[in-house]
Amino acid sequence: MKIRLQGRGITKGKAEGEAVVTKEPISFWGGLDRETGDIVDRNHELAGVNVKGKILIFPHGKGSTGGSRTLYASAKKGTAPSAIINVRAESIIATGAIVAGIPLVDRLDQDPISTIQTGDYVWVDADTGIVLVEKKKT
Amino acid sequence: MMLTDEEKRMLDGSCGEGMRRAMEIIITLAKTYDAERLIKISSAHLGATFKSHGIEGLEWVEELVEQGAQCDLEKVFVSLNPRSFDVDHWREIGFEEEALANQERLDRCYRRLGTIPIYSCVHYLLGNVPKRGDHFSWSGSSGQVFANSVLGAMGNREGVWANVAAAVTGRTPEYGLHLKENRVGQVLVTTEDLDLSKFSAVNYASLGYFVAREISDQIPVFSGLPQYLTLEQLRGLAYSLPVSGAVPMFHVLGLTPEAMTWGEAFGGKEPQRRLIVRPGDLMKVQELLNTSKRKEVDLVCFGCPHCTLEELREAATLLEGKKVNENVRLWLCTSRWFKDLADRLGYKKTIERAGGLILADICAGPSAPFNYLKKGISVVATNSVKTAFYAPGTSKVDVLFGDTKKCIEAALRGKWEN
Repeated sequence: MKIRLQGRGITKGKAEGEAVVTKEPISFWGGLDRETGDIVDRNHELAGVNVKGKILIFPHGKGSTGGSRTLYASAKKGTAPSAIINVRAESIIATGAIVAGIPLVDRLDQDPISTIQTGDYVWVDADTGIVLVEKKKT
Repeated sequence: MMLTDEEKRMLDGSCGEGMRRAMEIIITLAKTYDAERLIKISSAHLGATFKSHGIEGLEWVEELVEQGAQCDLEKVFVSLNPRSFDVDHWREIGFEEEALANQERLDRCYRRLGTIPIYSCVHYLLGNVPKRGDHFSWSGSSGQVFANSVLGAMGNREGVWANVAAAVTGRTPEYGLHLKENRVGQVLVTTEDLDLSKFSAVNYASLGYFVAREISDQIPVFSGLPQYLTLEQLRGLAYSLPVSGAVPMFHVLGLTPEAMTWGEAFGGKEPQRRLIVRPGDLMKVQELLNTSKRKEVDLVCFGCPHCTLEELREAATLLEGKKVNENVRLWLCTSRWFKDLADRLGYKKTIERAGGLILADICAGPSAPFNYLKKGISVVATNSVKTAFYAPGTSKVDVLFGDTKKCIEAALRGKWEN
């Protein structure tokens, strides 16, 4: 059975894929390798994880405002996440996502970081703000 | 959200596709922060290094220009942050021809967008000066904190595309620091056993660095600081606070425009927190930023943020009649205007005679010039906490951090003295 979460779509579009979840904020500037989609911030709990084509779930953006450029560049190269879910979006991720054409949803009715786990399968509809989750088989 | 008729036309494509796309970014930002309306800005400042754009970022701006996006300088002063090279010395600093072509393509693109090529992060000393209560949208954290705190102008820290979109539309959403109630102080910062009368601009930057590590993104109110602070001292606080944290602005009680009284500084409330800074805290900053075990210095680099005229004068005075060690390079990064003035004043000649080099238009921080030298630079001495913070990660060099005098002495001796 799928879990249904209702949030707020900030940019438009739909995507589905495997979830990568972190409780730590992310800086894409200096933190994401735009060539590969690897998280390269050595101090981040996702260090070494590839986010290409994934549904990336994290609290909010942080760090240099250049992060919106990095997100756009990786989308152009095809290495970006296919959708982003934030607890609360902020300007760096929001403007990066609109320019990159990445669906972005935030303010879900349940905490996405505890509800969704890495490896779960997730459908994101940023037009309606609806997120569906199928838990991975354990 | 309420939009004016003009804003509705910008959004529906009547003013061209470039304007529509810029407006779409502003509306997305407004939605993110539940802004009720857009406000007009009088000042914008945009990032301009090819390194941070990459080819994709460059093409995005080019496309926007192709689609008719255009700044209106009559309404908004739009200037540019440093670029990646110095037109006179790019070979000397190891900048590559291929990268030069890309940077020049980016320069042309921003020229066509209708921006003013100041190529400096001290644009607020070079004509882009919002007044108290004016709204702005700037790239570059040091200027953004300076304008909010010292000038009393109002602007948020935003993604770089948001700044481009604001420059084109002349609008930004009304949220965050554009609203008076979000600008009041939260943390009271006092000092104990620190002789502030002897505090240099570099000491103030260390103070800011320590405070931001403690308070993350809250707004500090400094109490007990001298009632006269120089431009460089105030800027020391402004540029360091967003390095180790994400502090958006600060107040100095009795000095900065929105903190004339205690009540004004804290918005009539009590401080949420009190922080006392002691000598040991600043020693810790010194230890954190000094990553080099080797004491032989390869490069001494000043200018993050860009050197002011006073800093060029100070360096020239310290170098008068002396000679930089043959194993050391000494670079001072600044704006072209200050370099010209330094030339007229004789500082440039003094610095160059000693073996130093004034670089113009180029960034000495996250996009520092020593990135380009492929070999020979492994230890960099600097008086900037920002260069010291970024260089080990972005340029793979070790850092020695100290005040201006100590750095110049290291340049002359070739060695850092503890």
